[in-house]
Formats: sequence, C-alpha cells, structure tokens
Amino acid sequence: MNDEQLILYYYGDGLSHAERRRIAAAIENDERLAARYAALCRELDSWAPAEEVAAPAHVVRRMHDTVDRMARPAAVAVSDRSQQRRFSLTSFAWGAAVTAALAIAIGAGVFVSRAPTDPPAEMSTMAARDNRGSFARGVQVYFEDARSDLVSMSVGSAPDRSRLIANIIDQNRLYERAAMQNDARDLARVLRAFEPILQRLADDDITPAEAEALRAQLAFEINVMLTKISRGSSNEIQTT
Amino acid sequence: MNNCPRFALALLALVFATAGWAQDDARQRDESEALKLAALEALIAAPPERALPLATKVLAGNHSNEVKARALFVLSQIDDPAAQEQLIRTAEQNGGELQAEAIRMVGIGGDEGALARLAEIYRSGDAETRAAVFEAYVIAQNAEGVYDIAVNAESEAEVERAAQMLAAMGARDELRALRERIGMSQGLITAYGIAGDVESLRELAMNDSNPQQQAQAIEALGLTGENDVGAMLAEIYRGSDSQQVRDAAIQGLIIAGDDEAVLQLYRASGDTAEKRQLMQALAATGSDLILEVIDDALAEQ
Repeated sequence: MNDEQLILYYYGDGLSHAERRRIAAAIENDERLAARYAALCRELDSWAPAEEVAAPAHVVRRMHDTVDRMARPAAVAVSDRSQQRRFSLTSFAWGAAVTAALAIAIGAGVFVSRAPTDPPAEMSTMAARDNRGSFARGVQVYFEDARSDLVSMSVGSAPDRSRLIANIIDQNRLYERAAMQNDARDLARVLRAFEPILQRLADDDITPAEAEALRAQLAFEINVMLTKISRGSSNEIQTT
Repeated sequence: MNNCPRFALALLALVFATAGWAQDDARQRDESEALKLAALEALIAAPPERALPLATKVLAGNHSNEVKARALFVLSQIDDPAAQEQLIRTAEQNGGELQAEAIRMVGIGGDEGALARLAEIYRSGDAETRAAVFEAYVIAQNAEGVYDIAVNAESEAEVERAAQMLAAMGARDELRALRERIGMSQGLITAYGIAGDVESLRELAMNDSNPQQQAQAIEALGLTGENDVGAMLAEIYRGSDSQQVRDAAIQGLIIAGDDEAVLQLYRASGDTAEKRQLMQALAATGSDLILEVIDDALAEQ
C-alpha cells in the first residue's frame, strides 16, 4: 500500500467505501503499516490549520474532479494489455497528475481552507506566513524521514532498497508539487533534482559501491537543505 | 545563533583542508574527507558573502571529486549571482570530470542566463553531457531549453523525449511551435493530450484529411482531463458515420472515464451491436453504472 492511498484515507476523500474498508482492515492487521500510517498522521496533523474553515466550494469541486478523473483512467489502464501498451508513453504523466491531485488536496486542506472569503490585508499576510511555516515544517519532516530511511536502508539488498526508494520517490513528488503550489520554486528544483538520483538508487543492477555513493550524495544534499531550512525557519522558505 | 558552531567548524576544517593537511594513511584520508564534507555541509549556514569564497576555493583546490561535487551543490544553494556564474563556468569546462555534476547544479540553481548557456554545451557535448543538460532543463522546468533540443534533434527518439517532457511541463505554446517547425506526429498528438491542449486536438479531430491522425487526436482528447471533453467526444461520436472515428471517440471516453456520456450513448442507441460495444466501454471505465445497463439488458429479455 502506498502513501498516496494512506493520505487519501487520512483526508477521508478520493476513495470508495470498499477501498476505505480494505485500507482500514490492512492497518488493523499489519503492525508495520499501522506504524507507517501513525507517522503519516503525525506529519499531516502538524499541517492542520489551527482553526478549520471550509474550503471554497470551487476548490473542493476541483479537488474532487481531479482525484476522480485521475483514478478512473488508472483503473482502465490495467484492464487491457493492448490499452496498457498504448498508454505506456503517458504513464509518467498520470503519475505526475495523481500527485498533482494529492497536492491540490493538501493545498485545499491546509492552505486554502483557512483563508476567509474576504480577509483583511493584515490577516492575509499573517495567514500566508502561517501557511509557509506549516509548509516548511512539513518539508523538514519529509527530509528528516527520508534521511532516516536512507541511513537505515540495506544497500546490499536490491528488493528492499527498491521498495524503500519507491516510497521516498512518491513522497518526493508530492512535496515537489506542494512546493510549486507554495511558490517555493528553489525548493521544487532541488526536489526535482533528487528524483533521478533516487531512480538510479532504486535500480536492481547497480553495485553496492554505487548505491553507497548515491546514498552519500543524497544524504549530503538533504543535510544541506535541512540546514538551510532551519536557518530560515524563523523567517520562511525562500521563494523565487 | 544555533548555526554559529557549525559555521565555525566549517571555517576551521576548510582552512586546514585547503592548507594541505598531511595524510599518511587511508584511515586519515577518510577522516579528513569526512571532515571536509561535514564542513561543506555546515557552510550553507554562513552568510553568502562568507560561504561563496570558501566554496569556490574548494573547487579550485586539491580535493577529491566527491568533495568538489558537494561544493557545487553548496554553490547552487548560495543566493548570489557569482555562485551561479561559478557553476556555469565549471559546466563549460568540456570533458571535465565535474562537468555533468556542474550542469545538474545549473538546473538546480535555476538562473535563466546560466540555463541559456547550457544550449551551447548541449550542441557540442557527447551523449552523457547531452543527457545532463536535458536533465538540468527538466529540473529547472525550462521549456525554452527543451524546445530548443527538440527543434535541433538528430533523431526521432530525441524529439519524442523532448515532446513528452514539454507535455509534462504543460508547455502548450512550445508544443504548438514544435508542430510548425517539425510537423505533426503521433508522439506530438499524445503530448498535446498530456498537456491538456483541447484547442489543438479539437482542430485535428475535426480534420478528416488524415483519418489516422484524426482518430489519434480524438483519442487524445480523453487524455486532457478537461471537464467538457466528454460532451465533445459524444458529439463527435454522434456526428460521424465513420467507424474509425466512432471507435476513437469511445476510446477517448474510456480514457476520460466519462461513464455518464457512454451511458447516454448506450440509451440512445437502437442497434444491438452498438449497444454491446458501448456496454463494454462502460465496463472498461470501471463505473458502477454498468450494473444499471446490465439490469436493463436482462430486463429486456
């Protein structure tokens, strides 16, 4: 089960009743999954607005439309081998689009929902600062988790490594989209640059030495970003 | 204030390191290397005017490629045009061992001027260098650079790859310009679909001078994910006598997942074979509406 499904489960959206029941049962019966879900809840809770205000209807509608639209072709794509072949060129785009939908969901829940319809100017500024603070904390948690995963990763075991890295890639895409939505383009570029390294690290055919070198590179770059974020945490993530 | 000790460590380590620490054995080399890396890591905590000369000095010094590559990443994070200039200059050192890494950092830095200078590196570079430049453009989401690669491509595969990336970036203007420059292809039609360019696809879908291209465009309309394409595809289906066009419209509806539009076509049809095809299409969308259709079909018998 991937993090996207758990995130949708957390937000109570974008899943059918059957899927929700299946995920609930899996969490109940799988200790490791339950621990993962608990960690995810803590992360998402930290982004939750202090005061819940309903998201504007058009944003909710857009979110629902996007999630629905992205979910359907995915179901179709696996139903027919010939169709699968036909759409293989676009599989990367569907992945990106589903991630975009999730980022919209996070945006609607965290960033838009707390904005009143016509906020006074000073309240807008304060809300923007709060939002950026929440976003920075979320990114910080992601970097810390990714670093921790990389440190504990078994470089010698290709299947374990691939599974773990696939999970980090999913998270990385999600935060890259969220960074774009928060106009943190500097950060989005860094996250985008992580993906090719992560992809190479997930390859079965690299040697342990190559895997170790890639892990060291990622760990260094994540550490630099953590230092940079903590340097700016009293202010905000730089946006350009 | 918390960053002061880290910056002090960085200064200390780099001053010692650049002065040439005597190393006699592998263990000492490893420790020295680790210290340099820790110092570089901490360097980002320093003000740009202090960090820049130190990182630049590491690049010019007698250090391992690993240490220099890390210095390049630190440079990419320093908010100073001189840091970007240093990166592109390193990237322009043809055949240099750090060239590919420096190119990646230009992408991360995102400086427009530096990105424009990558075009010349791409033109004169080998396959590895070209791949690095392409990656840098993707990192920076630089549609202009990817478009330039597509226009000057030497192979069909290179064009396809660039078109797909432009599509993923949502760069509709560049994709339209690409059609003017290199002509239409199936890859480009798919790219229009991914980029959500309904206008271009509708124009192609209405043009029956090239039936194969027309069918591809109709199908790709389903890829766009726009809300109104279901109605558009249903209209195309109803308005055409061509089986190829109607098949493509159904395919587009399946891709779009518009079960309501398929259901309406099913209910409007009086032809058994057509109804069967539409029922299969509805099943392919994964919609619960298929149960209604099955119910209707069984009731009729």
